Amino acid sequence: MLQAHSILWDYLWVAPNLFLLAVGFLIWKRGLSRQVPGFLAFAILSALAELSVFGADIAPFVSAPNFWRIDWASLLLESLLKFLVIGEVFSRVFTQYPSISRVSRVAVSGSGAVLVLVAGLIAGFAHGDNPTLLISGVHLLEQTVFIIESGLILFLFLFAAYFRLSWDRLSFGILLGFGISACVHLATWAIIANASPSEQARTLFAFLNMGTYHLCVLIWLYYVVVPEKVVRKSVVPLPENNLAVWNRELERLLQQ
Amino acid sequence: MTLALGLVIAAAFALVVILGITVSTRIQLSPGSALARRIEPIDIEAFRNLVDPTENEYLRRRLPAAEFRRVQRERLRAAAAYIRVSGRNAAVLVAIGQAALSASDGATVEAARQLVDNALLLRRNASVALLRIYVAFAWPHSALAAAPVLHGYEQLSGRAMLLGRLQNPAVPVRIAAH
Repeated sequence: MLQAHSILWDYLWVAPNLFLLAVGFLIWKRGLSRQVPGFLAFAILSALAELSVFGADIAPFVSAPNFWRIDWASLLLESLLKFLVIGEVFSRVFTQYPSISRVSRVAVSGSGAVLVLVAGLIAGFAHGDNPTLLISGVHLLEQTVFIIESGLILFLFLFAAYFRLSWDRLSFGILLGFGISACVHLATWAIIANASPSEQARTLFAFLNMGTYHLCVLIWLYYVVVPEKVVRKSVVPLPENNLAVWNRELERLLQQ
Repeated sequence: MTLALGLVIAAAFALVVILGITVSTRIQLSPGSALARRIEPIDIEAFRNLVDPTENEYLRRRLPAAEFRRVQRERLRAAAAYIRVSGRNAAVLVAIGQAALSASDGATVEAARQLVDNALLLRRNASVALLRIYVAFAWPHSALAAAPVLHGYEQLSGRAMLLGRLQNPAVPVRIAAH
């Protein structure tokens, strides 16, 4: 069962991408495309790219070097789209408040620069897991992308938590899915790219990655399909009744 | 192998933090009454006195250098405590303000937006002020840099009251004890 090109393998490779296409369709159908155009692009293009890689893997006329070239192109496209989505979620959550808009931009740019530097250094120290540059390069690129991605997502979660900012439901779901996916993929690619695991272990890691991605796509599907509960928000509950203080503060407000 | 291990640990840590924040965020969606109870009123006059530069200057002139440093450290500790409470109150008000953003009344939404913006600014300023206070522990001669926090807190108090007034005219929110 847990073998390359088993039914489970093929299912985990294909099904998440079909679900992701469904997520894209639902986003478009429900009129959410204006809210998250980047995520819509990611859902459609990365699903199609992954399905192309799967097609290249099973098609007998695609040579091994060409398969890896297609994999490279798919990875570059997906990485670009992921960072676009992260930027989109960042804008939706943080830039609507002028008081922290600038500081959050500076902070996220700074974190991004540090992460790129760290990821580059780590890639530089890695010895590569395959003599063929085309293959070891793609593994290192995966590792590099997931270091930056998980670092940025962690930063956004911490920043929002520090300021107690509430996320809109869709942004939260999108980033949660990316966060889980990035962390698990980072761990597995770090081992694959640096620790030279056995073929059997590589296959298990591939299953773990595909299973995690499937879970994340289901998380996105959940957040798109299940609508936010419309709760009548209660008025601000008031801890104390102090009319004198209230009047004084109101006067101060009026005098400003 | 060491590199791989380090990255695996970092990834596991990041995952735990992300899931932890996710769970705590869901739990924090508690009723507003629970949120408001977390506000700790601050004695603004005492806080103002504590960060008053003239008071600082007076103590510097009147006390011997060693005594001034000791007193100043005590004042820094007290100011840090006030600033921490201000920051925590700001965080609670961010949550209260964000809850009010979905109100149907335009004036309430605008008041809530201003409250959230001011509360975020205060939380940011409180962090910077705390950082400067920790630096000042090593160099107590520097002035207490908490004026923006104090000003922000006073402004926030007004915003909170305005929002409370709009939502429920009968009773005000009180975040400052005078």
